[in-house]
Amino acid sequence: MATTRNGINYDSLVKDDRVHGRVYTDPAIFEEEMDKIFSRGWVYVGHASEIPRPGDFRCTDIGRQSVIMVRDDDGQVRLLMNRCTHRANAVCQVERGNARMFRCAYHGWTFRNNGELASVTYQDRYDAAFSKEDHGLREVPRVGVYRGFIFGSMSAVGITLDEHLGKRVKEQLDLFIDLSPEGELDVTAGVHKYGYRANWKFQVENSMDGYHGNFVHQSFFENVRRRSGVNLTDMMTSQSLAQTRDLGNGHVMIDFRSYNKARGGRLGAAMPTSESGKAYRDALIAKHGQARTEELLTARGTHLLVFPNLVLIGVQIRIIRPVQTDETEVFLYPAFLKGAPHELNVARLRGHEAFYGPAGGGATDDLEMFERNQIGLSARVDPWLRLGRGLRQQRQDDDGTIVGQITDEVTQRGIWRQWKKLMSQDSAAISVRRRRNGNGTARRAIL
Amino acid sequence: MSVDRHRVENFLYREARLMDQHAYDEWFALWTDDALYWVPCNEDDIDPERHVSIVFENKRGLEDRIARLKSGAAYAQDPKSRLSRVVSNIEIEEVNRSELIVHSTFNVTALRRRRMDTFAGRAIHTLRPDGEDFKIASKKVLLINNDVVINNLTFLI
Repeated sequence: MATTRNGINYDSLVKDDRVHGRVYTDPAIFEEEMDKIFSRGWVYVGHASEIPRPGDFRCTDIGRQSVIMVRDDDGQVRLLMNRCTHRANAVCQVERGNARMFRCAYHGWTFRNNGELASVTYQDRYDAAFSKEDHGLREVPRVGVYRGFIFGSMSAVGITLDEHLGKRVKEQLDLFIDLSPEGELDVTAGVHKYGYRANWKFQVENSMDGYHGNFVHQSFFENVRRRSGVNLTDMMTSQSLAQTRDLGNGHVMIDFRSYNKARGGRLGAAMPTSESGKAYRDALIAKHGQARTEELLTARGTHLLVFPNLVLIGVQIRIIRPVQTDETEVFLYPAFLKGAPHELNVARLRGHEAFYGPAGGGATDDLEMFERNQIGLSARVDPWLRLGRGLRQQRQDDDGTIVGQITDEVTQRGIWRQWKKLMSQDSAAISVRRRRNGNGTARRAIL
Repeated sequence: MSVDRHRVENFLYREARLMDQHAYDEWFALWTDDALYWVPCNEDDIDPERHVSIVFENKRGLEDRIARLKSGAAYAQDPKSRLSRVVSNIEIEEVNRSELIVHSTFNVTALRRRRMDTFAGRAIHTLRPDGEDFKIASKKVLLINNDVVINNLTFLI
């Protein structure tokens, strides 16, 4: 029975073809999301290339908990809780930097960048039983890395990152990363940060929504058409060969491969005829071979959600940060492709800026939709949001994924199925397990 | 060229009014053909080829921005932000025959959907004399909040 500590029966709020508006507005549900999705589960934190040298760090959050993502003096990536073990002062005040030590300004305790407590001021007033070894900065209980993508889980138990991602998500991450001729991303181009006054799940769902583009983004597409003669709206009609796909575990994607293939593959057509475009294509073939290069370029355009907070679209790594029921922050990190011509990386950056960021010509209109959503939710005579588009026509693909047409709500249904599964877990069982495992050293998995 | 300070001030005040009034075409007409409009992101001194910007646009990008805002389908400006800005602390840094570099500060109050936001910072204009008037060859906008979350910067800044 899916009733939880709030007395909420999630089966009654999430149906196959609709969700109840309360899932976006109820503060008790938000609190439960912070526990069951953003504490217990795997959450994307950052990319290893953001902290390339020993001592490099970025201060961030997992859910609403302040965390320092740091590379220690031995080169190991760690996720340290940003909280002095003495009286809870935050030991890191800046978003990014390089530090051998984190010193708590309050009473002067000093921690190494691997979290160890290096020194305690006036230690003579603690008795002999006091041990510095017991008072290092606490670590996020589990850390997992897949090809530079760093994830954390606040729970010492639960499925592994490998199980969470599964083969299909790793394949999609590979397609994103291997667009680099060196097979590595360089996430050092800073970050666009925008916010909106609506629930975090609107951004999650919309990132994977192939139905809205021709309406919300018509002003952007019209500029593209006027400039280049290319009509992007063809990709997103109900006749397009592009697809929505449910990869399982809440991970979903918009898949343009069938659309791209029907246009004759992307190897020649999609690449700029410029020198840098040719150089890039040649570098990809040299690294990955002809067939894999074709596969990589055919997959371009993919929108991927790694449940719950990571989205990959175009050049960007997007992190969705819930703040409260009706407030959300979204951070976009453009990723350079290592080994690609500089001009190509610059062109990708300029393309990103045209659509994204707080002054961009595309994503800002999405944010406006989310705020209109949140206003609309106040009208509750009929409280349901409908997600049944393409429900009867969707099918199971050869690889076991569920696939539908791009304008179908396959992706939303995949997100909600996982959401309901996680939210329906028994709260008490989680906290018992957490107590039993304590908060010892992080368990680490490099996949 | 002798710099008439009043002419420079009047030009910046007029630009401010056109932005406040969403007078897109008139604002667009202020720019040279080789224009650069730049709002750095995260910090003021970045390499725009290595670091993302909030805006990094040439004349063509500006034209697209204006076309979108005029399209009736730029929902982030539907309804429009109501704007009032003060431009002050004008300093004319450098003068040669063909260009002036003008520093100023601005403070924009933006009201939209019952939310009041303040955007403050400095602007650095490169102005070229154009008859009795000027044209903007480049404008760099240094927002004090370029490293924190911004909800909506789709009006002209």
